[in-house]
Amino acid sequence: MSTMSALLPLATLASSLLTAAVIFMLPEQAVRTRTALNLAAALIKLVLVIWMARGLVAGEVYAVEFAVVEGLSFVLRVDALGLTFAGLSSLLWLFTTIYAIGYLEDSPNRRRFFGFFSLCVASTLGISLAGNLFTLLIFYELLTLSTYPLVAHRGTPQALAAATVYLRYTLSAGLVLMIGMVALQVLAGDLRFGQREFLAALGPEARPWLIGLFWLLTLGFGVKAALVPLHGWLPRAMVAPAPVSALLHAVAVVKAGAFGIVRLVYDVYGIAFSASLGVLDGLVVIASVTIVYGSLRALAQQELKPRLAYSTVSQVSYIVLGIGLFGPLGTIAALAHLLHQGLMKVTLFFCAGNYAEELGIHRIDELDGVGRRMPLSSLAFTIGALGMIGMPPVVGFISKWMLGMGAMQAEMPWVIAVLVASTLLNAAYFLPILNRLWFRPGPAHGIGTWPAERAPSRLETSVWLLLPALATALLSLLAGMLAGLPFSPLQWATRVVEQTYLMP
Amino acid sequence: MSPTPLHLLWLLFAPLALGLLAWVRPPRHSGLVLFVAMPLPLVALWLLLGLDDGPMAGQLALGPLTLHWRLDGLAALLWLLTQLLLLASALYAAGYVRTTTLGQRAYAWLWPLMGGLALGLGLIWIAADLLLLYAGLELMGLCAVGMMLLPGNAEALTAGLRYLLFALVGSLTWLLGIALLLGAWGRLDLAGMAGLASVAQPDPVTQIAVALLASGLLLKGAIFPLHSWLAPVHGSAWTPVSAIHGALVVKASFFILLLLWRALLPEAIAGAWALGLLGSLAVLWGGIQAWRAVGLKQLVAWSTVGQLGYLMLAFPLLAGTSAAVALMAWQATWLQLAGHALAKAAMFMAAGNLLLSTGAHRLEGLTGTSRRLPLSLMTFGLAAVTLMGLPPSAGFTAKWLWLQASLASGQWLWVVVLALGSLLSAIYVFRVLRCSFVEDAPEQAFRSLPLGMELIALVLALAAIGLGLAAGWPLSFLAPVGVP
Amino acid sequence: MTIAPAAVSAAAWVLVSLLLFLAGFCLLHRNLWRACQGFVAFALLMSLAWLVLGSPWLALAEALLGALLTGGTLLWTLRGRGALPRLAPVDETPRRARLSAPLRWLLILSWLGLSGVALVMLLGLDALSPPTSTSTLLTATGVLIMGLGLWAFSAQRHLLRRLLAFNLLGSGVFLLLAGVAAPVPVSMIAHLEPAPIAEVRALIFIGLVVALLGSVLGAALLLQLHAQAGQVTLTPMAPRHPGR
Repeated sequence: MSTMSALLPLATLASSLLTAAVIFMLPEQAVRTRTALNLAAALIKLVLVIWMARGLVAGEVYAVEFAVVEGLSFVLRVDALGLTFAGLSSLLWLFTTIYAIGYLEDSPNRRRFFGFFSLCVASTLGISLAGNLFTLLIFYELLTLSTYPLVAHRGTPQALAAATVYLRYTLSAGLVLMIGMVALQVLAGDLRFGQREFLAALGPEARPWLIGLFWLLTLGFGVKAALVPLHGWLPRAMVAPAPVSALLHAVAVVKAGAFGIVRLVYDVYGIAFSASLGVLDGLVVIASVTIVYGSLRALAQQELKPRLAYSTVSQVSYIVLGIGLFGPLGTIAALAHLLHQGLMKVTLFFCAGNYAEELGIHRIDELDGVGRRMPLSSLAFTIGALGMIGMPPVVGFISKWMLGMGAMQAEMPWVIAVLVASTLLNAAYFLPILNRLWFRPGPAHGIGTWPAERAPSRLETSVWLLLPALATALLSLLAGMLAGLPFSPLQWATRVVEQTYLMP
Repeated sequence: MSPTPLHLLWLLFAPLALGLLAWVRPPRHSGLVLFVAMPLPLVALWLLLGLDDGPMAGQLALGPLTLHWRLDGLAALLWLLTQLLLLASALYAAGYVRTTTLGQRAYAWLWPLMGGLALGLGLIWIAADLLLLYAGLELMGLCAVGMMLLPGNAEALTAGLRYLLFALVGSLTWLLGIALLLGAWGRLDLAGMAGLASVAQPDPVTQIAVALLASGLLLKGAIFPLHSWLAPVHGSAWTPVSAIHGALVVKASFFILLLLWRALLPEAIAGAWALGLLGSLAVLWGGIQAWRAVGLKQLVAWSTVGQLGYLMLAFPLLAGTSAAVALMAWQATWLQLAGHALAKAAMFMAAGNLLLSTGAHRLEGLTGTSRRLPLSLMTFGLAAVTLMGLPPSAGFTAKWLWLQASLASGQWLWVVVLALGSLLSAIYVFRVLRCSFVEDAPEQAFRSLPLGMELIALVLALAAIGLGLAAGWPLSFLAPVGVP
Repeated sequence: MTIAPAAVSAAAWVLVSLLLFLAGFCLLHRNLWRACQGFVAFALLMSLAWLVLGSPWLALAEALLGALLTGGTLLWTLRGRGALPRLAPVDETPRRARLSAPLRWLLILSWLGLSGVALVMLLGLDALSPPTSTSTLLTATGVLIMGLGLWAFSAQRHLLRRLLAFNLLGSGVFLLLAGVAAPVPVSMIAHLEPAPIAEVRALIFIGLVVALLGSVLGAALLLQLHAQAGQVTLTPMAPRHPGR
């Protein structure tokens, strides 16, 4: 092993950690320095992650570890699965950073915001590179701590209340996770991810314990993954600024929860052992309930961001559903959707933020005719929404298709009914929005006024806000159309499955 | 050159000498304090590193009187921690005097008292007989009371007097316990007593004696239910004094208690459980009171009551459990003690900075601090991470080890206590942090503080965090579940 | 200096009854001035007791630290110092209600009970019969004085009287300490090492110093508190858990 192998994961982690530290030290007024630093760090991180991806394909091993106390180690280890999540978060972080710079222009407390923003992404990266449960928990809790100031950022009573609810859920969940992980360690020692045979070898008397611990840990991860009934914090956290919502919904928080479940099933218990314990069926049921319930609640929302929030509740559970479907296709669907949902959801939130910033629009019935005033944002929104519904050629179609195939493979045809129902519901809550955007006359046609229009600029809105939305929309389109090319999300997910799970 | 007893003697008395010097000419610049006092922690570190060949031990004969001492890894670590925290507090005090109006004479008195405290604590860490322990405990107690009284206002006086009375009665309880032990064993050195205790059945006299010793120590250590003096005394004390007191003084009593328990009643499971239960109540009660506290310093002081409760879990987890469990509990205890000491000092300093700058004593007065005092607030938050036991802090690693020890030994109760304690601490910590986010607060006159005062606290808080991942190094000095 | 046991007996009985009388006088007298004088006399008698127990150095220390310095400080505190207002010479504060604090009584009784049981175990059952040696007699006196001191410490509110009570409590503990360790104890575990007399004396000496420092500090604080807030008790309103 070369020194490079230890250095790269650390450098990737440090690229955001150090940025956070430096940003906290910079004065509030140093806007240009901070912007440059943010963008440079995001780019460097992306480059490092791509570098590691290429190295991993070429067979390199990247790992660091040291003992914290005897029998308990801090382990960073790059594997294909972790890199999937790392790649997603670093790519979307770049766009979210750009967006946040534009969004928070001239607002107070930007130092605090960007400091914790970097810390948040550092934690996400740590979660993806963690090599055992102890390390995963460290970054998982760090994520909780670093997102709290972001949710509370505006300091209004609603924001503080939402942040408190967020903490209540996530800290309790962290505690549950910790107890579960410690119990697992007592049973089986300091397990590295990928040492799946240990738990399976424990013998039949440990099985009730293992099943109990599985559900305990799922309970812990399920809060961040917003599984019903643990989703209560997510819609309330909508009061946070739009980039934070994007971060919570697409890049970091709910993904961290889903990723935790992925790790738990594939790398701690092992998919075959999980199936033999019978816990996968439970996951499928929970995911199905969450999918349908989230969609129904989304349908009932009259405001844009809460509707998107409930849509997240529903969509993230596709990942859990894919995990629960025993078989390679289900796994591929889960991993691919981890990436796809991120791309589409971040687009939707960027656009929602644009509407709010440019025109002061928060409610859905205020969206009439926005397509004329802001055609590019609305186009991006349309791509994202169609993707969510599952319309080809956007990537959402691939997710749903693979899920359906996975359900057939796992011999659970009723899951297809859930998918169809969910698709219909998705259409029911997204199509009216699209209708309003493009086909209903509104203030742009001279009927009524926008709630709070900003002074018109050269483009439909600030470049900083527009470009990220367009870029992610384009990516979700391309990822769908070019799904067959190497390094597309689908191909990468297939590679993960082939290399790591089914052909050991 | 390897450490000799003379070096120990130097490290014991040098702080006192410096304190007396500073009494004559009270320092007003942190730089001077740093320059003069820096050698102390360095020597302590050198002593620690010089212990490679095993612990040092010896006797000192003063006429017919024989004093026993020993310096093992644990004692050296604690001594190093003591010197570091005293230095930090001294640096802070030098900045503190410039930003507040303190009485000149009172400020001068701070220094010899601090020196005496250093001597007392040093004696406690290295004492190997009850006589030296008694001397150290009393010296520390009196100096601590003296320091608490320095503000001189009526509030401080009543709180200090209450503390004094408690401490004096506590010391008599302790002396009575020693009297009985002396009657039962005819000796005072811990090693000898431990040797006898390991072969003899525990007799009722020893149990009564240890019960008396324990209650004296619980009283001095502010451990539930004998904690009532702690919160008022911190409410009025100077910040650097609160910092040392919360970080070190109350810990010394716990240290002695654990030392005696391991030596005299290593297998007394019922008593150990009783102590563990007391600790559990302390965790809950301290947490609830901190939740309800009105003032920031009271909140921090109540959190000390709760956090000390965690330490008491060491007794049931060490008594009669398997070697692996005992090792985890042993490591967790010292890690928590060190982490909490650093974090609590940092937290008191950060809280002191916030109060000093806003002039408010209630939590509601902290609104808007995130914009004006980001560094102190950040320090408070970082220190709170350790107290809540969130990663990657010493508190987290300690909590992990404790959970593991409790689950491995089947003592489920402590899991519940640890969980509830963590939740309670999160609740009271975020009560503070929440206030600081409020934006629509009336503009207050913020006083600017010297950067040094904020940086000292930050360094301590970061040390508490760093200790979580770098726990392996200090723990490597601990003897495996040492009987002294 | 060995004195024939039979000869001491009468003298020792006189000494012990005087000690008890003075302890009670000093704790019960509401006139603080008298109480403090009683304390000085008590400390001098204690010094005599140390002499009887064969430790002249402790006797000297007791006379100096206990009678002269502690007693002197307390008397001086009463006389008033400099510009600080004088304390009222008579304690007017009400005693705490007798049945208000069962917990307090429980603590006192368990303290006494525990030490009594332990003593009986250490000294053998004949400790319960009329004492035969001077040291046993003094040990028993120590327990009684401890009881008086504890009661007064918890029942009274005036801080000066509580300081006095603390000092007497301390004296009781010292007597017990000396009594337990000084003769060859008949303990549960047979050990033939000589009792560490030097260590016992050192313990008592440290105890005396601590008591002196505590009293001096407490008295000075009391004066300050009286000057600043006009109170001579810890809590004017006396709530159970004051000052949260």
